[in-house]
Amino acid sequence: MRRGDLVLFGSVAAATVLFALLPPFWAFLASSAFISALLISSVGVVYGRAGMVSLCQVTFAGIGGWVVGYLGVATAVPYPVALVLGALAAVPVGVVIGLPALRLRGVNLAVVTLGFAVAVSSVVFVQGFPGARTNDPVTRPGLVAGERGFMVFTAAVFLIVAAALLATKRTRLGAAWEAVRHSERATAALGLSVSLIKLSAFAVSAFVAGLAGGLLAAQLGFLNARNVEPVDSLVVFVIGVFVGAHHVGGALLGGVLGSFFPELLRRLSIPQDVGPILFAIGATHILARGGRGLAEHLGRRRPAAGGDVVVLRPEGGAPTRHRADPGRDLVLRASGIEVRYGAVVALEDVDVEVAQGRILGLIGPNGAGKSTLVDVITGFHRPDAGSVTVGETVLDGLPAHRRARLGIRRTFQTERTVPALGAGEYLRLAAGGHLDRAEVVELLAFLDGPDPDTPVYAVDTGTRRRLEIMGCLAARPTFLLLDEPAAGLTEDESLRLADRLRQVPERFGVGLLVVEHDIDLVAAVCDELVVLDFGRVIGRGAPDEVLASDVVAEAYLGV
Amino acid sequence: MIDTAIASLTSGGAYALLGVGLVLTYRMTGVLNFAHAVVGAFGTYTAIVAFEAGVGYGVAMILGVAVAALLSGGIGVVMARWFAEEATIVRSTVTIAMFLGVLVVGFRLFGDTPRVVPALLPGVRLEVGTVTLTGSTLLSVGGVIVLAGAVAWFLAKTRTGIVLRAVSERPITARLLGVPLRTLVVAVWAVSGAVAGAAVTIIAPTRTNDYASLAILILPALAAALLGGFQRVGATIVAGFGIALVELMGARIPAVARYRTVVPFLVILAALLWMQRKEVWDEAR
Repeated sequence: MRRGDLVLFGSVAAATVLFALLPPFWAFLASSAFISALLISSVGVVYGRAGMVSLCQVTFAGIGGWVVGYLGVATAVPYPVALVLGALAAVPVGVVIGLPALRLRGVNLAVVTLGFAVAVSSVVFVQGFPGARTNDPVTRPGLVAGERGFMVFTAAVFLIVAAALLATKRTRLGAAWEAVRHSERATAALGLSVSLIKLSAFAVSAFVAGLAGGLLAAQLGFLNARNVEPVDSLVVFVIGVFVGAHHVGGALLGGVLGSFFPELLRRLSIPQDVGPILFAIGATHILARGGRGLAEHLGRRRPAAGGDVVVLRPEGGAPTRHRADPGRDLVLRASGIEVRYGAVVALEDVDVEVAQGRILGLIGPNGAGKSTLVDVITGFHRPDAGSVTVGETVLDGLPAHRRARLGIRRTFQTERTVPALGAGEYLRLAAGGHLDRAEVVELLAFLDGPDPDTPVYAVDTGTRRRLEIMGCLAARPTFLLLDEPAAGLTEDESLRLADRLRQVPERFGVGLLVVEHDIDLVAAVCDELVVLDFGRVIGRGAPDEVLASDVVAEAYLGV
Repeated sequence: MIDTAIASLTSGGAYALLGVGLVLTYRMTGVLNFAHAVVGAFGTYTAIVAFEAGVGYGVAMILGVAVAALLSGGIGVVMARWFAEEATIVRSTVTIAMFLGVLVVGFRLFGDTPRVVPALLPGVRLEVGTVTLTGSTLLSVGGVIVLAGAVAWFLAKTRTGIVLRAVSERPITARLLGVPLRTLVVAVWAVSGAVAGAAVTIIAPTRTNDYASLAILILPALAAALLGGFQRVGATIVAGFGIALVELMGARIPAVARYRTVVPFLVILAALLWMQRKEVWDEAR
């Protein structure tokens, strides 16, 4: 835990003690604040970290509260157990509503979740919650029966959840949520299942919201439909956007705003519904600044892009721990590939072969189909005909992340690193398995990377492009497809990159396919060239021969 | 069956009108406007309050539509001023905040109890065989026909319409060509707000019309717009009428009547999954 977080947790504990000394009314308000903070944390997971707009968080809470109420009426399960069971009950619902999120994203997902919130509210919640009709409230066990004891309990639940969510930031799951928020394609290219990542975010988020609902049920005795209206999900979401729900401090701030702020307004005789209006204005302001919440603005500032970045000097030649098994000289083969968009033929009967340890250059004018071929080989585009194999393994039909895990990695024309991660964290995420610090440093040194702790957003584009390549290499792939790796690099950088790329096959045991417009780089690096024009192969062979041929000059220069 | 179909026309027309407003703002300004129906509801309640205060019937209704147009135009100003360059998802998130803001302001001003809304054109009845069409139905269906015609004509035939289409497809190019983008965006928002105000006012006398319930009309509207792929005005209109019909048929079967509010959700879900069955990746390379 960082120092700032420790201070925050300490202050919460201190505030809890303070409120325990005040009259019960204040303890009640404080419990409300912690419950709201939990709900806002659930927004922090699904929206703040995984980048999906979910407008049904209060519905998850309602489900948690429903189950806690039911267990209280129908069974003798003790409250803390019921609380956990209620939260667990929200998880499958979260997963089910997350299922459409696998295909739908952004705005569409917001529409689905809002529809879901209204549907559940009008079909289930409206019929009343267990215990409400018979006036049979949730019984809180002795220690937490009073307002003060219960407040300490809600504080403890919040702190445990906050600490757990904080801990996930250092795990692969946490890094994967950041990755999927940034780009789904890049996430799949790292060998991660986008579906699982999205579902896990929904599941965790539903669990946290379910906990909040279970606490709310116990605080109020039982819920009724007015406690968990669809509009409340909107309020929680908007507060989450405003405060930066993915930060512990943000969630707490939101909780305090949600419970103490109305009380303050009441005492000042200002109408309490001013609150949501201010949250709406605040959220709009945050979005206009392109920020990720108030907590981010109040807390540590982002270092300016391109600030003091420590560049490790490359040492050259060092150990070759990444070398693949020399006995397996695999060949990546794409044969008879055809891709059509309606009447337009993007690729027609294209054959390419790369052997492990070799470098194949793929050149051709804009629109020749080079990137489409990379998409086909790496599983991002299903060809209309043709087959992709590695050795004896047929890859056709395998999704992109499975191909990445089989050792076929790629980069993108526009770099797709994950800005919120540190350089080292990014490499670890990309590696898939274990990567110790020495390996991280070695990789970073090999391609002029920044210090491992430098956040990705703080380095320039050229460095990010190289980081993306380092990430691929960290996964020890058998084949690596680079889509215009030199685009956007300065001439110096491009020369250095060419030098490094030449070393890659030997050092990492990788077969490289390089799509590039920089003819100098291609000529210097590649063992063999394939030239594409209008989706057909119009030349192949040794670089100097191919580049000297008339067809290639014609395709490129139109002469 | 025919009775049911006729009875669903008022709602269907209103859903279609709201849906078309959503399609327009989406196509022209790249925003999925979650605040659309609540702005309409705000206008409707302004009209009701004015009417209750003794303002003439027609004047009150026009006032309501004007307030909806102003409010929506105001959101348009915010969009054009601060969010012109943002992604659709960010701008749409802003409208979620706007939805909340307008909803709460409305609660404060209008309360949350249903009101008696005077039916539009109370004396008007059209008898066709055994079927009676009320004033509301005629207005609703007529409004849809007029709006659809106007939109089609505007987008295809007027210079401003063509400019707007250019703006929606290539905002930066349009700006480079010297198109006064902000004014146009705000105008689109104001017009869609006025349509929303009219649509909600037409539908309000026929159902539970507390302010929040009217704001939730956004759901059938979204469902209709989705079925139109956020692109096609005609498909959106058909979908609006279709959703109202299915809803009412559901309401007349006792076993499922209680669940009829689920219809928009199911329609939304099915439509989205069907339309996006092929799309796999989040963006072009």
